[in-house]
Amino acid sequence: MRVLLVLALGFGLQASAEARSLTLEAGNPKPKAQDEPATRAVLLRREREEKSRQLTPADPSRVERLLLDLENGRLFERLLNPAEGFYPRIGNISAGSGISFGPAYRRPGLFGGHADFSSFAAASFQGYWMADARMRMPRLAGETASIDIHAQRYEFPDENFFGLGPESRREDHVTFGLRNSIVGGTGAVHPTRWLAIGGGFDYLAPRISTTGDGRRIGVRFGDADAPGLGSRRDFVRFEAFADLNYREPRGNPRRGGRYALALQRFDDTADNRYSFSRVEADLQQYISLLRDRRVLALHAFVSTSDVDAGHEIPFYLQRTLGGPDDLRGFRRFRFRDRHMLLLQAEYRWEIFTAVDGAIFYDAGRVASRVEDLNPNGLESDYGIGFRFGTRNGVFLRVEGAFGSAGGKHFIFRFGHVF
Amino acid sequence: MSSRALVALAIAYALTVHAAAPTFYPDDPIQVDDDRAFDASGARPIEGSNVFDFAEHTFFKRGDRRDVRARNVNTVDEVPDSTWFTNRMGRIRMSVEEIVRGPNRFDTLNIDDWPLVQEKSSGITPGYRVTDPSGHLYQVKFDPPLHPEMASGAEVIGAAVYHALGYNVVEGYIIEVDPARITIAPGATTVDMSGRRRSLRRDDVDRILARAARLPNGRYRATLSRFAEGRPVGYFKYYGTRPDDPNDIHPHEHRRELRGNRVFSAWLNHDDSRGINSLDMLEGREGRRYIRHYMFDFGSIMGSGSTMAQVPRAGNEYILEWAPALKTLASLGLYVRPWITVDYWEGAKSVGRFEGAFFDPIAWRPEYPNPAFDNMRGDDAFWAARLVARFTDEVIRAIVAKARYSEPGAAEHVADTLIARRDKVLRAWLTAVNPIAEPQLSAGGVFTFENSAVTAGVATAPTAYVLTWSRFDNATGSSVGDSIEMRVTDPRASVPRELLAGSEYLTAEVQTLHPDYSNWRLPVTLTFRRAGSAWQAVGIERAAAPR
Repeated sequence: MRVLLVLALGFGLQASAEARSLTLEAGNPKPKAQDEPATRAVLLRREREEKSRQLTPADPSRVERLLLDLENGRLFERLLNPAEGFYPRIGNISAGSGISFGPAYRRPGLFGGHADFSSFAAASFQGYWMADARMRMPRLAGETASIDIHAQRYEFPDENFFGLGPESRREDHVTFGLRNSIVGGTGAVHPTRWLAIGGGFDYLAPRISTTGDGRRIGVRFGDADAPGLGSRRDFVRFEAFADLNYREPRGNPRRGGRYALALQRFDDTADNRYSFSRVEADLQQYISLLRDRRVLALHAFVSTSDVDAGHEIPFYLQRTLGGPDDLRGFRRFRFRDRHMLLLQAEYRWEIFTAVDGAIFYDAGRVASRVEDLNPNGLESDYGIGFRFGTRNGVFLRVEGAFGSAGGKHFIFRFGHVF
Repeated sequence: MSSRALVALAIAYALTVHAAAPTFYPDDPIQVDDDRAFDASGARPIEGSNVFDFAEHTFFKRGDRRDVRARNVNTVDEVPDSTWFTNRMGRIRMSVEEIVRGPNRFDTLNIDDWPLVQEKSSGITPGYRVTDPSGHLYQVKFDPPLHPEMASGAEVIGAAVYHALGYNVVEGYIIEVDPARITIAPGATTVDMSGRRRSLRRDDVDRILARAARLPNGRYRATLSRFAEGRPVGYFKYYGTRPDDPNDIHPHEHRRELRGNRVFSAWLNHDDSRGINSLDMLEGREGRRYIRHYMFDFGSIMGSGSTMAQVPRAGNEYILEWAPALKTLASLGLYVRPWITVDYWEGAKSVGRFEGAFFDPIAWRPEYPNPAFDNMRGDDAFWAARLVARFTDEVIRAIVAKARYSEPGAAEHVADTLIARRDKVLRAWLTAVNPIAEPQLSAGGVFTFENSAVTAGVATAPTAYVLTWSRFDNATGSSVGDSIEMRVTDPRASVPRELLAGSEYLTAEVQTLHPDYSNWRLPVTLTFRRAGSAWQAVGIERAAAPR
């Protein structure tokens, strides 16, 4: 009898459990064992009544609240590319500065909307710093003309120097400090959206420091093999340029090209020992593959300088090769001379939104004679890297460069290479 | 109490419990789920973070992922009316004019001199808010300069489609804004880049207009959206329930209309279909407030990316999808995702990247995973596809005309693409389950039904239907007595007379035999209840293959 009782009760409990199980499995709410509702509507009402006794406010997690505050405060926009106001500037201020930080300010739409003001001051843990202020008027004459007035001062305390020429030796490595003040302006006309023709001038007051930590330049080099080392000179730089730029999109090109030609004149304002002229051509071509998901990017840069009779080019104004933006397999400013040729090729492929991969090859050389700027005997390197950003710009790139006489180099840099 | 009495009591209890779970209640199938019954005045606004929403769905699996039937369907596998969904074209015959009009109460609106009260504070599209002469709030959103008419066209088409389907959407109008007739209200505000609210100036308006498409007549085309009635209380997530809403009892990832939204989103390429683009509004009178749930922001559907043409990835891959990304990374780009090579029509700037040839409704993806979409089963998709089938070519072309595309070929391309994508949706989802629908049993015992795939023209007639009839005991939820099997070639049969007599409930398990669709052998169980001299269909349960 007891067995029967247990069986019967067990059956009842099992049936009840099945009803609950059906509730979950079949989707439609099923009634509970007791106090059976008469209709589906009553059943649903009871569920709601039960919930009404257990209401709690929505409680977002701390992470969600934090992210929401950041979004509402537009912190990401302020960090990345704010339209106006104060913001923290994070990035590189020169090839060897490391990551720099500092305040920045931007105020567009001044003078009836014609002028945009921007400025920043930034410093790095390596002791590099820069202050910059500029007023741009990009929308003059119906957006066919622009003017840029700027002032800049910086100090780079630990710049590399290995001697001049392509045969300079790694073991001759020394450093120097460079401080400079620049004031100037540029004007341009824009007959089309993709063409700018213009000119400008700058007043430069570079100063070299030979004191400091480590092996400084004065220990090994003098004015004979590092022209300008022993003198203080100010310069006036005049420039004329033409810039044909039809890259798309401009900040992270997938197609199009840019062909820029610049003629520069540096006049020594003192005893006229260091005056020279320079011609530079910067050619970029972007070949789109697979609807812009792959890009073959080509870059050629050539710079030649013509020295007045009896003059020299100060070593700190000579073009350099080596570092995270040109010959990436070499130390920064590894080569330095009057003339320079740089050839770069990159194959870029989109891995997913906002991340590209890149395989690159760099080649180049410096020379004291322009006829030595030929493809023979170029220094070269290759590497692989990743770029983080959007279609409008590369925020960060991480690269490894190999295959050069300069060893392996790991690059962590804000901004695009070209 | 004697042992016999105890046993009798125990058995009686067991039978009571067993009998206490009828499969069908007298009011089944319910047509309305009354989710306004309890006062929701305590609901507080919930703000959503775009970054958090992306991260939580990309890196975590939110919600209940069990492969179970949708929780809010009635016993005939339909969605009852609620604050989420109102059966419109799925239940009633809507005229073309009604479908095109959508939620709008006016034919056109002119906002000249309506005071601008606030710059639009969220989203990437430039715009602002104005009030009409009665003080009601509207939002103005402009088209991007390089793609005039694109976002506004998408907005009104999307709103009309979603409204006809049954969702709550706000009124939306295409307008032209005369810059000379923009009036800034005293106290109008904007939020500067530091996140501080300040007074709005005329140069702020000029800055907004500088990012907008200017028409040849000097005006600016825009979308005007009327704010919904009530008080905004945030948005709904595609999983869980609102803890502060007593009426919200069905986990959202198990709501049929949210699961089925994957089908509609795929059709329109509404890749931005996420919780952040929803709206909860508190309505009703004091003491009887309830939350109505809205879908909004259709400006980035049909190849529009709101401020530019949509990226080709959209609809084809999540923003962050590991498998293709790792393949591309490891192969140094030699692995080419198939969607990369798709050609898009470029005949009009007002049309974004919208095509129908490559589109695959099953493989379609939103911007990032959506729990309700992930939970969609064959029966959910079938329900949705049957609604999509209601959009005839004529209806689609009429809705597209509402966008007032001015460029030659634009309207034709959008309509043709919608039609092509609709046909693919129907082929994919009307055939994914045994497509038996609309069962009817006459008083005389004549059983008829519809094969929705055949009706829609996406499948040929099957070889046969196998019907297995039996009596049904509503108290126990099981068949009673012998079953009778019959085989017919047409969707019509006579119920065996011996079963009709004296039965309160009858069930028919219908299997469909088709050489191309083996999954149609999974039965649909139909249940009829005697209602006077007639029979009422009270149960449709569709066996679905595991997700």
